[in-house]
Amino acid sequence: MSGRKLAYAVLGVAVLAVAGVMLYKALNNSLVYFVLPNEYAKDPQGFAGRRIRLGGLVEPGTVAFDDNTLQLTFTITDSIKSYPVAYKGAPPDLFKADQGVVVEGRFRGGTFVGDQLLVKHSADYHPPAPGQPIDVNMLKQTLQ
Amino acid sequence: MVHLQLGHLGSASVFLAFALALYATVVGALGAHRRDARLQTSARLAAVATFLVVATAIAVMEAALVTNDFSVQYVAEHSRVASPLWVKIVTLWAALQGSILLWGFLLTAYTALLAFTAPLSPLRPWALAILSGVQVFFLGVVAFVANPFHTLVNPPADGPGPNALLQNHWMMAVHPVLMYLGFVGLTVPFAYAMAALITRRPGSEWMVQTRRWALTGWGFLGAAIVAGGWWSYEVLGWGGYWAWDPVENVSFMPWLTATAFIHGVQVQERRRMLKSWNVMLIALTFCLSILGTFLTRSGVVSSVHAFGDGPVGPAFLGFFVLVTLFAFGLIALRWDQVRDRAELDAVVSRESGYLAGNILFLAIAFTVLLGTLFPLLVEAVSGQRVTVGPPFFDQVTLPLWMLVFLLMGIGPLLPWRKAEGASLRRNVAWLAGGFVVAGGLALALGMREVYPTLTVALAGYNLVSLGLLLGQALVPRLRLSKRGAWSVLWSYAHESRRRVGSMIAHLAVIIVAVGIAFSSGYRVDQQVRIGFNQSATFQGYTLTPVDRFMERSASRISSGAVVDVSKNGRKVATLRPRTNVFGSSRQPVSKPAVMYTFSHDLYLNLDNTIGPDTSYVVLRTVYSPLVSWIWFGGLLLAFGVVMSLLPSRRRLAERRAELAAEAGAEERSRA
Repeated sequence: MSGRKLAYAVLGVAVLAVAGVMLYKALNNSLVYFVLPNEYAKDPQGFAGRRIRLGGLVEPGTVAFDDNTLQLTFTITDSIKSYPVAYKGAPPDLFKADQGVVVEGRFRGGTFVGDQLLVKHSADYHPPAPGQPIDVNMLKQTLQ
Repeated sequence: MVHLQLGHLGSASVFLAFALALYATVVGALGAHRRDARLQTSARLAAVATFLVVATAIAVMEAALVTNDFSVQYVAEHSRVASPLWVKIVTLWAALQGSILLWGFLLTAYTALLAFTAPLSPLRPWALAILSGVQVFFLGVVAFVANPFHTLVNPPADGPGPNALLQNHWMMAVHPVLMYLGFVGLTVPFAYAMAALITRRPGSEWMVQTRRWALTGWGFLGAAIVAGGWWSYEVLGWGGYWAWDPVENVSFMPWLTATAFIHGVQVQERRRMLKSWNVMLIALTFCLSILGTFLTRSGVVSSVHAFGDGPVGPAFLGFFVLVTLFAFGLIALRWDQVRDRAELDAVVSRESGYLAGNILFLAIAFTVLLGTLFPLLVEAVSGQRVTVGPPFFDQVTLPLWMLVFLLMGIGPLLPWRKAEGASLRRNVAWLAGGFVVAGGLALALGMREVYPTLTVALAGYNLVSLGLLLGQALVPRLRLSKRGAWSVLWSYAHESRRRVGSMIAHLAVIIVAVGIAFSSGYRVDQQVRIGFNQSATFQGYTLTPVDRFMERSASRISSGAVVDVSKNGRKVATLRPRTNVFGSSRQPVSKPAVMYTFSHDLYLNLDNTIGPDTSYVVLRTVYSPLVSWIWFGGLLLAFGVVMSLLPSRRRLAERRAELAAEAGAEERSRA
């Protein structure tokens, strides 16, 4: 191998290594995990300060919307664990109690502050009859 | 007795077309292998017959859609009596089965056209056989996996109609067709490249013969991406046009590799270099278009766009593996013939500029692929569901794009082989001047964001580059000619269409880049609540909802607000953002109202449902500067491509001579 080729090869490997590290860091910083409230509750430290997508059902009787400040608050639940959610904006059209929703945002204190709210209207999932437990795996499947 | 229905006719057509494509592939390959002219002709005729039969299938489907024949399953599942005629017609490609049928149809149309018009060459028989082979896959999927012609024994009286988001805007009638024209157009150079490898003729022949097809396909794909962005902007209600969603990414990746390809081709034509590179790029483009269809149509990646998980996923995955093994296996087998023997003469030269640009395009494509597939990897390894957010794509690709723009300016000014010191220094000084002046102006006007400011500086740099290129071409001509500057420019544009076309395309890219930089860097997005006949101010505009309205037609119900927009006390527009409900679906979709201006758009999306007694509106108001430059730039890019495609006068004369020679050769062989 001539000196010039060796130099190119070394340069190439160096560039690739730097690119790889940068890609890895950028990927790691912009990964957004999809979790249910009970999954978050298991490891709040692991998600500290991270952007996540929190999925669950809208707990009946918790929805409050102030139409002057456009502040929407409700409790999201997967029947095992519940968290209060604050969202700045009007509720989407199909938003209602027992509806599956996915909120994207961050935890601030004990409240999940969301900036995106998606209503999941799936034909496959029906909320259980009152008093019946929720199938968490099924819920996760439908929401993602 | 079985009553003969449209569905039966359609099914019979696709089965027959599948058989014909299979025949064209096998007989065509055999004819090419044995150099048997009779077999080759038979395969060519079969390719034309396939096209006619698939055209019949398309006509049958359209007839079923237009006449509301709900005994055809596809019609029952995706059409509706009350839809307007244009919606019924485009419902052909509003859902999975129909759009694969359309893809197959365009593929057979291109193949039939090629079978008749492609110049006689040793490559043609193999290229046609490969195209027929690709048809076998698509028509096989249509016939056996996702047959839209299944008949229903008990047809319903009416259907649900196509997806509401698609009915919401006429662009959805255009965008998929452009996309498939792009994918299919790029299949032609792929087939010729494979033919070149099979016949051990890896020179420039295959590229020269498919230059038009490649450019056409690339142009359509680019137009499809811009059209899709505009559709998102007009329909999705968040005031953006690109979200790095998997569905967007998978159309972007083949466009990137195709962009690298059409540039790499120039080097091979002029310097006989980058042979293996170009073959790999076109193979990659084709494989990525199949992979993309697999990813979006199988439901393995989640997307905000509505695509169900259809049954075609495994078929596309299998085909992807097959074509990847075939193409790259063939390249490996012929490696000795395609690898470059020549080396770069100098680090600073036109060809090294092209090569560096190509590497950047590939790096961007790889980044997009990584970001799109990474959620799959994470889920496979850890079982966690994740998404990769837009910040990743922005962080990694923006610096690469800046380098692309840097090369786009200097590259065309570099001479082939080796740049001379003096002229290089002079050009670089000019370019640096453009960069500093534009960048300084941006800073003086208060721009502080890194990438938008850098983009403006690079736009200035690229404008200087285009000026220098035009100057280099025109100044000697002006000296020699007694005519005026415009007349010289006009005749130069006629003589050197490819060159001028590429300049227009590069100008268009600058315009699009500036549009993206400003509309993403300086976009203002707010949600406001305004009572009827009250006002709110937003970015210097006063918004006053003055009335509510409700419109009901056979196919939809719209309700919305009439919003007066005024500036400095003068009324400038009346916007009517609304929500539409289509047919039986209860899902309302919003239809934003946009005030387009040269310097910025005012975009209003309704965030609450307006009923008879609603007393206020909730508006998502978006102010995005220069966003219309993107759409204008897209049009200009298409114009640049058309310009380079138009044959120059010299080329027309050559073509006539070629045809005459070919006719003579055929006569002689018959004699």
